[in-house]
Amino acid sequence: MTGSQNSKGLEKADRYYKQYGERAKELKKEGRKIIGYMSALTPVEILTAAGVAPIRLKGFMDEAVTKGDAYMESIICPFVRSAFDAAVKGRFGFMDGMVLPHQCDSIDRTNEVWSSNLNLPYWHFLNVPHVTGGPSIEFMKEILRVFIGTLEKFLGTKITDTAIAQAIKAHNENRRLMRELYILRKQNPPLISGVEMMKVLVAAMSLPVDESSALIKSVTEEVKKRPAPADGNRKRIMIIGDQIDHIAIPEAIENAGAWLVVDDLSIGVKVYWPEVDETTDPLQGIAERYLRKLKIPTTFVGEGDTYEENLEARFGHLKQRIAEFKVDGAILFIYKYCDPYGFEVPAVKSYIESGGTPVLYLEDEYSTSTLARVKTRIEAFLEMIA
Amino acid sequence: MLVAGIDIGSITTEALLFDKEKGIVGYDILQTGADSKKTAEMALEKVLAYPGKNISDVSYIIATGCGRKRASFAKQAITEITCIARGVNHLFPEARTIIDIGGQDTKVIKVDGKGRVIEFEMNDKCAAGTGRFIEVMAKALNVELDRIGDSSLKHKKEVTISSICTVFAESEVISLVSEGEELEDILYGIHKAIADRTMGLISRIGGAEKEVVMTGGVAKNIGVVKALEAALNMPLKIHVEPQIVGALGAAMIALEKTA
Repeated sequence: MTGSQNSKGLEKADRYYKQYGERAKELKKEGRKIIGYMSALTPVEILTAAGVAPIRLKGFMDEAVTKGDAYMESIICPFVRSAFDAAVKGRFGFMDGMVLPHQCDSIDRTNEVWSSNLNLPYWHFLNVPHVTGGPSIEFMKEILRVFIGTLEKFLGTKITDTAIAQAIKAHNENRRLMRELYILRKQNPPLISGVEMMKVLVAAMSLPVDESSALIKSVTEEVKKRPAPADGNRKRIMIIGDQIDHIAIPEAIENAGAWLVVDDLSIGVKVYWPEVDETTDPLQGIAERYLRKLKIPTTFVGEGDTYEENLEARFGHLKQRIAEFKVDGAILFIYKYCDPYGFEVPAVKSYIESGGTPVLYLEDEYSTSTLARVKTRIEAFLEMIA
Repeated sequence: MLVAGIDIGSITTEALLFDKEKGIVGYDILQTGADSKKTAEMALEKVLAYPGKNISDVSYIIATGCGRKRASFAKQAITEITCIARGVNHLFPEARTIIDIGGQDTKVIKVDGKGRVIEFEMNDKCAAGTGRFIEVMAKALNVELDRIGDSSLKHKKEVTISSICTVFAESEVISLVSEGEELEDILYGIHKAIADRTMGLISRIGGAEKEVVMTGGVAKNIGVVKALEAALNMPLKIHVEPQIVGALGAAMIALEKTA
């Protein structure tokens, strides 16, 4: 699929994917402060406004957890363990600090394990509420102010409302550009494969927002120009899960003879679809996006009158993506010991199936070595919907 | 016209030769061992030797099972889930639910009247409640594998094995022995545990619908069969050679491909 002479964007994405954090290292040398973070719940707008480079931490599916297990028990989410293991092994040695938002127990309750082992100059636990009503929005704005205060103290600068408003614009633009790239997958066959897209998504979260936008733009231009793949006679698959950040999963799907055309992942559609409204108080817009617009299982309490209404509010966007991207089947890929996603499995499965789209539910470790069994299930699922 | 199906499983490999007019010509079952590619070739050779045929006489070969991609002589690899469903449909057209317990996998499959898969579930990656589990228990209790089923039918009381993890269940079984429980009762407990676990998978595909067919090597264990029938409150249909159903299904699909 590659091999085009001017494959600048995709090549870059491939490099940043393979050497994760390469650009952060360079930026650090140039004197930029690097702040690592976990989860879709970290308000990157604030970090960008502060002038630091926010880098989202990832795990490494093809590496065994070795050092990390000395500090974290195997009951903890395998993704968190992998990312933590990478951190204590020094893979994110460029970090000046980290932000851990209150998401799931595996993140919340390991906050001290992270902070005491990494011992970085800056550390912040962002106490994001889990319910989304009016009082929670007020609370969220308050904790954003606290967050801003700690950054200002660490950096010795003031983070102005104007800087935040500019950062909001930049991140909204970044999201719009990524959605433009996604649109190229609506065609049959999709103009960009799921494997390539995974590399772009991972590369994008390792860069400051302006560089991320430039990368996405160049990938989109490149993909538009190159000839479309010939094989249109394949089933179109959607993947749903939290932070799937390794090409092994899209590879397993596409090597089985399908196209991965869209996702609902916390490094993909989940973060690129909702924008921050440009409100007079910029924190209002940020609070609303992270609490209400982000569709993740840890910040949701149904406010509808009926169960059906709550299902629509929680999962309605999935049906929209399925229709827009002409999805033939959905794969629900949940990591072992993931409570928030695990709780929702029966609801999301039956909700999607009620729309006539078959669902394959997979639960696995965060490891490429256990994928053989997963591959058999994916193949059987494709044979089933053929 | 001849077609063949080959099922390369975790413990055994089955080759089956099918004639369009005459039906099953022959089959062979081998231990898979460490070299699944070689075993697959040997199984095919053996099954061809009986009617005195060559591989060139076979119009289409499909491989299935966890080693399906290792059979380079096969034209296509199809998962065992799809193949078992087709094989069962050929033998029992009224089948709607299939329970397949093999060496390291338990699968439950919901099928329609044409043998198409509607839904399926598999055990997770541990081999709890599968053929390997029974082998480990038989060894721990020093009972021959082919006697374990019959012995369990002579049980006098209900002994519960609470853990289905092979390693934990083994130590549980050993402590039951030291507590003086009867061998038959323990064996019954083991089979009941397998049935309970399988029922959990069945509930995930919306329960069992008539007829229920059982396939895979564990279908030869009368203890598991009886425990499952009791749990389902339904009789199980079982082919005389339940291990070859995957290979048969592969051959049936191969036949379709040549049409």
